[in-house]
Amino acid sequence: MGAVVAELARFSRRNTLSAIGGFVGLLIIVVALAAPFLAPRDPLKADFRRMNKPPDAQSLLGTDQVGRDTLSRVIYGTRTSLFVAFSAVILGTTVGSLWGVACGYLRGRFDLVSQRIMEILQAFPDLILAMAISMAIGTGLPAVIFAIAITRIPFGGRVIRSVALSIRELPYVEAGRASGGTTLRIMALHVLPQCIAPYLVLATTHLGVAIVIEAALGFLGVGVPPPTPTWGNMLADSITGLVPPWWLAFFPGLAITVTVLAFNLLGDGIRDTLDPRLSPAFLRMMAGGRRT
Amino acid sequence: MQKYIIRRVLFAVVTLLGVSISIFVIMRVLPGDPLVAILGVEGHARMMPADRERIMADLGLSDPLPVQYVRWLRDIGTGQLGKSFFRGDTVAEQIMHRGPISAEIAILSLIVSWLVGLPVGILSAFRPNSVPDAVARAVSVLFIAIPGFWLGMLIVLASLFWFGYKTPMVIVHLWQNPWENLQIVIGPGIVLGLAQGAYIARMSRSCLLEVIGEDFVRTARAKGLKEGLVVMRHALPNALLPVITISGVLLGFVLGGSVAVEQAFGVPGLGRAMVSAVIERDIIVVQNLVLLYAVIFVLVNVLVDLSYAWLDPRIRYS
Repeated sequence: MGAVVAELARFSRRNTLSAIGGFVGLLIIVVALAAPFLAPRDPLKADFRRMNKPPDAQSLLGTDQVGRDTLSRVIYGTRTSLFVAFSAVILGTTVGSLWGVACGYLRGRFDLVSQRIMEILQAFPDLILAMAISMAIGTGLPAVIFAIAITRIPFGGRVIRSVALSIRELPYVEAGRASGGTTLRIMALHVLPQCIAPYLVLATTHLGVAIVIEAALGFLGVGVPPPTPTWGNMLADSITGLVPPWWLAFFPGLAITVTVLAFNLLGDGIRDTLDPRLSPAFLRMMAGGRRT
Repeated sequence: MQKYIIRRVLFAVVTLLGVSISIFVIMRVLPGDPLVAILGVEGHARMMPADRERIMADLGLSDPLPVQYVRWLRDIGTGQLGKSFFRGDTVAEQIMHRGPISAEIAILSLIVSWLVGLPVGILSAFRPNSVPDAVARAVSVLFIAIPGFWLGMLIVLASLFWFGYKTPMVIVHLWQNPWENLQIVIGPGIVLGLAQGAYIARMSRSCLLEVIGEDFVRTARAKGLKEGLVVMRHALPNALLPVITISGVLLGFVLGGSVAVEQAFGVPGLGRAMVSAVIERDIIVVQNLVLLYAVIFVLVNVLVDLSYAWLDPRIRYS
């Protein structure tokens, strides 16, 4: 325990900004988990005596067109947004990473075909692909998670593949092969553990992207359907009127920005600490340039 | 070089074929009857099986899937992209009408991103860890985090409240009325440009710093060149290549992001067409628009790769 604290303190000294990002991120996760205790009102309950009220003592962030409390909706929105983002990133990055390990270790035809598939996935702009998929499989929480997860697969696949490619040539992996370990055993016990650090880095850096995609889907009306409060839905609701109330447009967006900022800062710090291979220079190489 | 070009283009064609097949599969094989979308659940339930078959045949949806796919490819080849379920106009007409607006926004945002991002990145790299560098990095981190469509909404709201100004909601092309056209595209262009500019500033800073650490830069300094000349003449050209690449990758961000940003600004571009088609489940429109976005994205990245190889001979010979 003491060692963990010391390590965290060292991390914070070296990456003050990411430590702050991590702290804010943690707070946001707490808000999401404790939403029922923190929200002053029921986020779904309309109150027709208090419609379109600007922020005041009774509802700190104002109310919307049917008198629902904006603060409570933002707090519950945290739940949906984080749940979707975490599930999508974990699902997408895990599938992508396992695929990447297999590609990097097995090489050959399997790798060649897989690389073409990842290229096809990367040929779509993220949001466009997510829109098309969520349209095809219908709206709803699982559909949105699935749609965002698919857009994350090629990133995991490419980065982890390159890691696996370099690890498979290391002497201890060769030793594993020489002593007769099966392919599956070597991949799972010798190659996979080395991919955990880059996996964590990837997952953190993609959380922000996933949150923005989820919000954009909600904003465009193809995300998690109402009345579930999500930040994107709230932004979409806010501009239905002719003169949109500023508090409805401002606070959900602020929540998105703060959350994305926190996770991005944390991700940068983790990347610098855990895996220099995921530095911008390396990612640039993976993202473009040599696609062959 | 020729061999490189041929190989790169060939790969792109294979990728695009794969793209078109996956779009087709996503749109046809996954659940959801297109007729339910057109007629509503009740209308669909009341329909006679014979009527249903006739409508499906009219829309060309009752043929075997491979036949439909090949017909789609042939239609693309002849420029006939099929009709929207709901609107009178063909998809090709929609693209011709709305496309220029979206293209202008994309190009404008590209220009803004380089005009803003590159100087900021150079300034940062000139004096790393100075106050201006810290400010520039903080601002770019912030702009990477702010969702463009939210920034767009705030700009629209602010100009409405403070100046009572509203952008024109109709489509005005550049060649019809340049001034009104500019009012339509400038907002989305700047919002998308600033977000890209933040990435470009970051990338150009880190690349410049990388290059500045190399031997030839030390040589340039050792022979007594001014620092400005060292950075601008010796370091910058070598640092620019990756920035060009990231600009191509960012196009995906612009194409996707513009859909949401156009919605925020109320700009009637292709993004808006895409959103309404997705909501109406107008699969003919969606499949063609998604393909169009993917084709643009892939082609631009081919161009980026080729320019990269043209600028840096090490790549074309590897």
